[in-house]
Amino acid sequence: MILWILLALMTAIVAAALLYPLYRRPEALAPDNAGEIEVYRDQMKELDRDRAGGLISAEEAEYARAEIGRRLLAAAGKENVDAADAAKASGLRRMAIGIVTVAPPAIGLCLYIMLGSPGLPDQPLEARLANPGNDMSLLVAKAERHLAQNPNDGSGWDILAPIYFRTARLGDAELAYRNAIRLIGPSAARLSGLGETLVVANDGIVTEDARSAFEEAVRLEPGDVRARFYVGVAQEQAGKAADAKATFEEIAKASPRDAPWMGLINEHIAKNGGTVAAPAAPPSLGAPSADDVAAAQDMSQGDRQDMIRGMVDSLASKLEADPNNIEGWLRLVRSYMVLGDRDKAEAALKTGLEHFSADGSEGRQLVALAREIGLSAEGAANPGATPKMGVTQ
Amino acid sequence: MTRKQKRLAVIAGGMSFIIIAVFLVMFAFSQSVAYFFMPGDLATANLQPGTRIRLGGLVEDGSVKRGQGSTVSFAVTDGKATVPVSYTGILPDLFREGQGVVTEGSFDAATHAFVADSVLAKHDENYMPKEVADRLKKDGVWEDGTGKGMAPAKDGEGDKAGAKSGQVVGSTTP
Amino acid sequence: MIVEIGHFALVLALATAIIVSVLPVIGVHRRDASMMAVATTGSLVMFGLVALSFAALTWAYVVSDFSVKNVWENSHSLMPLIYKYSGVWGNHEGSMMLWLLILVFFSMLVAVFGRNIPETLKANVLAVQAWISLAFLLFILLTSNPFLRLDPAPAEGQDLNPILQDFGLAIHPPLLYLGYVGFSVCFSFAVAALMEGRIDAAWARWVRPWTLAAWTFLTAGIAMGSYWAYYELGWGGWWFWDPVENASFMPWLAGTALLHSALVMEKREALKIWTVLLAIMTFSLSLLGTFLVRSGVLTSVHAFATDPSRGIFILCILAIFIGGAFMLFAWRAPTLKAGGLFAPISREGSLVLNNLILTVSTATVLTGTLYPLVLETLTGEKISVGAPFFNMTFGLLMLPLLIAVPLGPMLAWKRADLYGALQRLWVFAGLALLLGLLLWYMQNGGPVLAIFGLAIGCWGMLGAIADLWYRGNFGKLPVMTSLRRLKGLPRSAWGTAFAHFGLGVTVVGIVAASAFSTEHVVEMKQGQTADAGGYSLTFDGFREAVGPNYTEERGHFTVRSGGAVVSDVWSSKRLYTARRMPTTEAGILTFGLSQLYVSLGDPMDGGGIVVRIWWKPMILCIWGGCLIMMVGGFVSLSDRRLRVGAPSRKAKPVKAVMEPAE
Repeated sequence: MILWILLALMTAIVAAALLYPLYRRPEALAPDNAGEIEVYRDQMKELDRDRAGGLISAEEAEYARAEIGRRLLAAAGKENVDAADAAKASGLRRMAIGIVTVAPPAIGLCLYIMLGSPGLPDQPLEARLANPGNDMSLLVAKAERHLAQNPNDGSGWDILAPIYFRTARLGDAELAYRNAIRLIGPSAARLSGLGETLVVANDGIVTEDARSAFEEAVRLEPGDVRARFYVGVAQEQAGKAADAKATFEEIAKASPRDAPWMGLINEHIAKNGGTVAAPAAPPSLGAPSADDVAAAQDMSQGDRQDMIRGMVDSLASKLEADPNNIEGWLRLVRSYMVLGDRDKAEAALKTGLEHFSADGSEGRQLVALAREIGLSAEGAANPGATPKMGVTQ
Repeated sequence: MTRKQKRLAVIAGGMSFIIIAVFLVMFAFSQSVAYFFMPGDLATANLQPGTRIRLGGLVEDGSVKRGQGSTVSFAVTDGKATVPVSYTGILPDLFREGQGVVTEGSFDAATHAFVADSVLAKHDENYMPKEVADRLKKDGVWEDGTGKGMAPAKDGEGDKAGAKSGQVVGSTTP
Repeated sequence: MIVEIGHFALVLALATAIIVSVLPVIGVHRRDASMMAVATTGSLVMFGLVALSFAALTWAYVVSDFSVKNVWENSHSLMPLIYKYSGVWGNHEGSMMLWLLILVFFSMLVAVFGRNIPETLKANVLAVQAWISLAFLLFILLTSNPFLRLDPAPAEGQDLNPILQDFGLAIHPPLLYLGYVGFSVCFSFAVAALMEGRIDAAWARWVRPWTLAAWTFLTAGIAMGSYWAYYELGWGGWWFWDPVENASFMPWLAGTALLHSALVMEKREALKIWTVLLAIMTFSLSLLGTFLVRSGVLTSVHAFATDPSRGIFILCILAIFIGGAFMLFAWRAPTLKAGGLFAPISREGSLVLNNLILTVSTATVLTGTLYPLVLETLTGEKISVGAPFFNMTFGLLMLPLLIAVPLGPMLAWKRADLYGALQRLWVFAGLALLLGLLLWYMQNGGPVLAIFGLAIGCWGMLGAIADLWYRGNFGKLPVMTSLRRLKGLPRSAWGTAFAHFGLGVTVVGIVAASAFSTEHVVEMKQGQTADAGGYSLTFDGFREAVGPNYTEERGHFTVRSGGAVVSDVWSSKRLYTARRMPTTEAGILTFGLSQLYVSLGDPMDGGGIVVRIWWKPMILCIWGGCLIMMVGGFVSLSDRRLRVGAPSRKAKPVKAVMEPAE
């Protein structure tokens, strides 16, 4: 409301300022030639000064004087047209007053309503950071700013690193893990997190760096299944099938029968020439654990794609049955984008937004994700429910 | 000189200056204009060795080799043909494999390799040299809006590239 | 709310522009003083509204309000504050806002300081300014609106293009636009005069301060841009004949010509038609430049992603204004009376020569810039016209002008009777020098061209000093008297001397930097040494550093001369984190007027790195000369004669005025 009052005030001030000369008693026009005559008189004075200063010769001065004189005469001889008489002017002026009164509010309002977003408040970043609510990206931004000022806050990096990993900011994740390890010392979780980041960044290859991180993690905490699993994968990739088999079998031995990763472990054991002790528990579809992803990396490119697709499809059907899972929707949209399936991602986004209003905090997460990965949220968002987005994409 | 003669002299002087300028422009065009080619055009172009041209395309993946000192060799491709290029000097900051590039130089008569004396790459991460972009789009090798083309971006960067391509990412001023 | 107020102010400015475009013109037609006065108030109101709008946008940048799409696209919360400000015009929408702000700023100046201008002329000038403002307001609101919002707002911006995060770039666009857009006033004066159908010496006097101001700012803007390209792009070049550079250079050339022809018109009432044409052409070139840069027709640092609707919109603005002005010109020009006569050898003659050369050179640059576009449109062939073309044509064509510059101010108006033996001797002396150098060149093939170029530069500098020398009558009068005479010289004479001296300095810089600079590309490992320009540089290794929104690897070099350490220099490679974009920050070390320029290349296997080292002798003369030219412009602008008192409201008795003429 205050906004509208201010806008009305502005319009009124502009109209008043423009009306002022029209209502003022019309002044007599200075004769047209007055300005010209002034200029030529000045030129004449300048000539005198130049002559007095000896800058020009007497002869030159005489020539110039004659010329300026002629111009002066010509200017003085020009006829001045008289100002319009009051009777003729008043009709015209009424029209002008009409235009000036009507145009600013009419044009201003029409265009502004077309283009503006009067319902949107200002959103300075500082204020938003002070009160971030549960907007994930704002929380991340806040943490980032904190770390930019206190780059030696190791636990800050430690919190941020897995978030980076989950939002596929792998470079940042690696940096964050390394900083955390440097500042507050290595732990199994940090080391295997770093290793996993490196593996995903290298298309599933367990690099030398990653392997040493995992080995260190196992040394620190022998029970860390994730690190041990990757050590096995590294051995497998290095062609040491026997070592790999031993590693996987050890994991299997140490794990409870119904551990969710058993299926994956058994697959690996089988792959490396071992026999599986017991029927595998079904791998938890839909929510691919890091281990599943890692397993996918051992397959051929096509197989891997198929497997990921399978997992994504199962996630999709799960969501169909139970749509009130915002995490699931977020993951589904992102997965489709990773698979390069833009249309499906958009469709998923749309369906997700049907279940979560774009106004709500969950819906906002979806919209933010869409913007982040370059999807159009416009068609998806319910236009009635969201404030008008003045954005064309 | 009469007034008429004076005026004639001035006009003649002016005209001859303009004529000189026109000839100069025409001469300079014949001397220093470089035509733009893509590797696929060269087979039919019938170029003399030593003719200055601009060669544009994508830097082939895995083709960049640093040689002696500051000489670099790489290959420019448009999907149809590939031309090896050697260049001595410092490559632009945004020169990357799989990205668009325009090089200017000429074919060496002896080795038939393209020797470039200037290499232009894009100015920011979304920018593709216009000539290259036009042609690649026409040939369907590179697509606007995906930002990916021949070298699909990886992982997180892929997301980023996807998010930013097709947007106005600015710079400045005239 | 502040953002929305800014948006609304822009819309209101559009409404005001419509009113100011129409009412004053009717007022002039019907001789209604009140309606003419709407132009003055309207221009003030428009400036107020656009300034408010611009301030709102700037505020959004400063507080990082990412709910504004434009801010989100071009800013980052961690960017240093100064780049948050400069980020406002570091993008398409914002730079158009700046364009508009400066346009209405000039309208406001005309409204406030134009008291000596006849009411009718002023009303028409301001109306024409309002037409231009209207066109650009529509362009901004309909195709490039910086006030579009995002909801929900993203948490972080996408950062400003790193090569634009630089102090030089923070001030380059405003300066350049002050020049570019300043010429709009000359254009408006020309169109208004054509509308009234009367142009005389007084008109030239009224236009001159605006031309001078625009020219001065444009000089500064171009010099700034050139220096920015020099140190920021890391290629060691200071002028690339890039189409965008040409786009700013062409108005400068035409504006320089206008400055000189307006002088002839003011003093002698000659070259009227030509001056009006030049005024139109100069601003047309500014508009053309805006079109070339903004439409995405050209590719360069400055080109934003192409948006066809924008290009077409600007093309329409271009067609309407340039086409309309030229049609008006063709219609009205024949009715203008020709002015005073003069001999070929006279001050006027030299200024005509100046105009001839400058316009032909402008045409050459224009041809070189547009030819590739035209050819591509017609035949589909793609060519590039580069520096060799411009150096050959433009360089050669400017040569006679550079030689003639010192002679011009010494010639008398109308007929140069004093063009006596002395000056003729000078010419012959010059010819002799030329011949001698030519012979030497044929014999030795040495760097005679460079010597010749340096000689021309020095000739320009000495000529400016000689001008002052003769005006002060040094040598003939006692020194104190001469000094007093110098003090009494009109400021514009000083301005001329400064500007011409600066031109000479720039020429010296250009020649020396092109002919004598040396370049070394070497692969260096830690501890290795390379020589350049008489100095030896030792590479001491890298250090990592973190900036507010980037990380960098800084290479340290120790510079020695004859074994003794003189200085040290850092050169770095930066990676801007938000855009993952690398840039090269050259290390520059200044020795007097010369510079050592160190730029890092790619790391090599084995720990070395490619380093490019230039020795650029006297390169600072290039920009120093521009600075002196600028000073000349300001000195001339402060001339009291440009501030002729306002005519009093009551008509003076005409008889009294005529007396001095008889």
